[in-house]
Amino acid sequence: MIGQILGHCRVTAKIGEGGMGVVYRAYDEVLHRDVAVKVVKKHSGFDNTSSQSLLHEARASSSLSHPNICTIHDVGETDGELYIVMELVEGKSLHTMSAGKGLPPESVLRYGVQIAAALARAHDRGIVHRDLKSSNIVVTPEGLVKVLDFGLAKRVGGALLEAPTLSFSSVNTASSMSGTLPYMAPETLRGEAPDARADLWALGVVLYELASGRLPFEGRTGFEISSAIMREIPKPLGPPVPPGLWAIIQRCLAKEPAQRYQRASEVQAALEAVQSSAIVSPEPSPDSSPAAPPISIMRSVHNIRAKKGDFLLLVGTIKGAFILRSNAQRTRWEVGGPYFHGNPVYSLAYDGRGGQRRIWASTASFWGTLLRSSDDFGKTWTNPQQAPVRFPADTGVSLKNIWQITPGLTDEPNHLYCGVEPAALFESRDAGESWSLVRGLFDHPHRPRWMPGNGGLALHSIVLDPANKQRIYIAISSGGVYRTENGGSTWTAQNRGLRAIFMPDKYPEFGQCVHKIAMHPSRPERLFLQNHWGLYRTDNCADSWTDIANGVPSDFGFPVVMHPHNPDCVYVVPVESDQFRCACDGRLRVYRTRNAGASWEPLMRGLPQKGAYETVLRDSMTADNYDPHGLYLGTRSGQLYGSRDEGKTWHKILEGLPAIVCVRTGIIDDGSLMSVHPVREERRTAPSNSARHKSTRNKTSTRKRKARE
Amino acid sequence: MPITFHIPAALREFTAGHGAVKIDASPATVAEALTALWTLYPGLRDRIVTEQGQVRQHINIFIGNEHIRYTGGLATLLADGAEVSIVPAVSGGSL
Repeated sequence: MIGQILGHCRVTAKIGEGGMGVVYRAYDEVLHRDVAVKVVKKHSGFDNTSSQSLLHEARASSSLSHPNICTIHDVGETDGELYIVMELVEGKSLHTMSAGKGLPPESVLRYGVQIAAALARAHDRGIVHRDLKSSNIVVTPEGLVKVLDFGLAKRVGGALLEAPTLSFSSVNTASSMSGTLPYMAPETLRGEAPDARADLWALGVVLYELASGRLPFEGRTGFEISSAIMREIPKPLGPPVPPGLWAIIQRCLAKEPAQRYQRASEVQAALEAVQSSAIVSPEPSPDSSPAAPPISIMRSVHNIRAKKGDFLLLVGTIKGAFILRSNAQRTRWEVGGPYFHGNPVYSLAYDGRGGQRRIWASTASFWGTLLRSSDDFGKTWTNPQQAPVRFPADTGVSLKNIWQITPGLTDEPNHLYCGVEPAALFESRDAGESWSLVRGLFDHPHRPRWMPGNGGLALHSIVLDPANKQRIYIAISSGGVYRTENGGSTWTAQNRGLRAIFMPDKYPEFGQCVHKIAMHPSRPERLFLQNHWGLYRTDNCADSWTDIANGVPSDFGFPVVMHPHNPDCVYVVPVESDQFRCACDGRLRVYRTRNAGASWEPLMRGLPQKGAYETVLRDSMTADNYDPHGLYLGTRSGQLYGSRDEGKTWHKILEGLPAIVCVRTGIIDDGSLMSVHPVREERRTAPSNSARHKSTRNKTSTRKRKARE
Repeated sequence: MPITFHIPAALREFTAGHGAVKIDASPATVAEALTALWTLYPGLRDRIVTEQGQVRQHINIFIGNEHIRYTGGLATLLADGAEVSIVPAVSGGSL
């Protein structure tokens, strides 16, 4: 055959030999391209009619043009043998690639989507493959899937399979001829005329094989294989195969065609959904066998590879959490996640105290609100049997949401706090193993008169005084600011000077809708506060508050973020009104004061200044601890911005996220807490220059290093 | 006849992967059956009811095809061989 001319192709070399015939490499001397030529073997049962049918089918298939289908250029007959000229596809077959060990789920999904797309196109043209198997699917070096031999199997195998009585011995014969028995659908084995749904069965077999490295229906003889196909349920595929992928495979392998997907495009859509993690696991019918346990790690979720010194940005959204990794430069980001698909994550915290590398997250779903943690940067998360943060039975109250997770002071690495809805404070003294309700606050006589704000009755701010361990501030929307001087036993309302414009008495003892409070650890007697209308500062431990909205376009807003090294500097994001709650005039601007509120200036370079009706929610802005420090904000429209120069210039880090409700930072093995969490530092009473701040910080980190050593 | 619970996929992490769980006892009410269910699989409790023992807002419990909301809630009497389905609500419309 070598050197022979078929049509206008010169055969140059033999590539391989399969059940159907011999494949040669050839050169198309008219179109000047390399092609493959398959010369179809003749065998008993392959008469002239069959031959004409094959020609017809091949011609029909040549009309298929799709990037995942190996194109048929020409068909013809020579010396009574049929030949098919097709696109020369170089690469490895999926059979070779998956043999014995299977492929990672990401690859299975990526290839599965392309195979399904090829089938969808062919089925739309009325062409059924009928011999889909891993050995006739090739992946090119570029990762493109090519399905070979479309439409060619119909008559070749069909001549045998359409025999009215089908004995297992004849199936065995068919198997030895074409090697496809393990991919045959039950209806094909029953002798029924297979349709496009038989291709979907075969796709299920291929996906199973790719995911596990073994066939779903195995046997030593054709009889055993056929018997398994007709009667047995394939062995369930557990982790690392995502439950969503396993569910798709199961549905492809439904014994009755009517119970399978009906169209290849449905399989494609389902695979794509798992790929994008939109669907975790379709509900199997109640009478199906027990599925493999769902896992909390999905392989289609990207996990970051973090190392000592890396910088982390934790982003909570209403549909899950993301973990971004960078280094001290903070210019390039690796995005991990999404974690907790579909579940709101309102609070996150990085806890690096005592040499830990723990990320805390709260998840809310139909199944309740849970506090969870990860010690491997999101790869695995705790999923405790019993919810760790829970109201005692005698309270009659049920947890709705966890709004805030606040690690304790640096030298108390086992202390943690949670602010929750309905408004209450929980504390842990054993690094989050167990939690208890802070009764002093819960039993406060004011509690029955606190009123829920738009977001619910939330305790969202917890500020610890690094100079006085007995003193803690909390803020409630709508309840106001409360302070304890005795570690939580008793609490007093600290709202003098804070306005509540929605109350008959504009300056009530409590009931203010406070949105956020912030403290610099070097001046713990001072707090800044963003109110539901109103910007305030206290310099006397919240005994009284002063209005500092001097020159902001609106004193309505949500976050207030402390400069990590300058106790006179805070950042806010004014929004137009409580009705509109969007950036003033459609211009997203952060406002900064560097004189404790005497005046404010806008920071906007790099932030959208036209038509940007954005909202930055109370926990969606934060700072890091570098010098100069970084600032990060996330919007309700899912845009994440960052600044490396204290807000002077901004860059978009990510867009297209679900609504962002929480942004937090951390440095791996830095030993200190970041941003809003106070660290114990030497107390200073007066604002100081940056050199002094730097020296204080250096002293602090030296002390921490020593403590760690 | 044992009671059979049908467990949604999201909770099978807590039932060793089982989609159907049979309780051999003959609990009189849904509440008793659920208590037996948590004894077997403790992780289910906090997912299905609040810490105060109320069925979570978006969780539906059906006996056969009937929602217990219309048959007496947790006090609904169970017949022998009852099939109890735990079904999360279909959400839509909200962000």
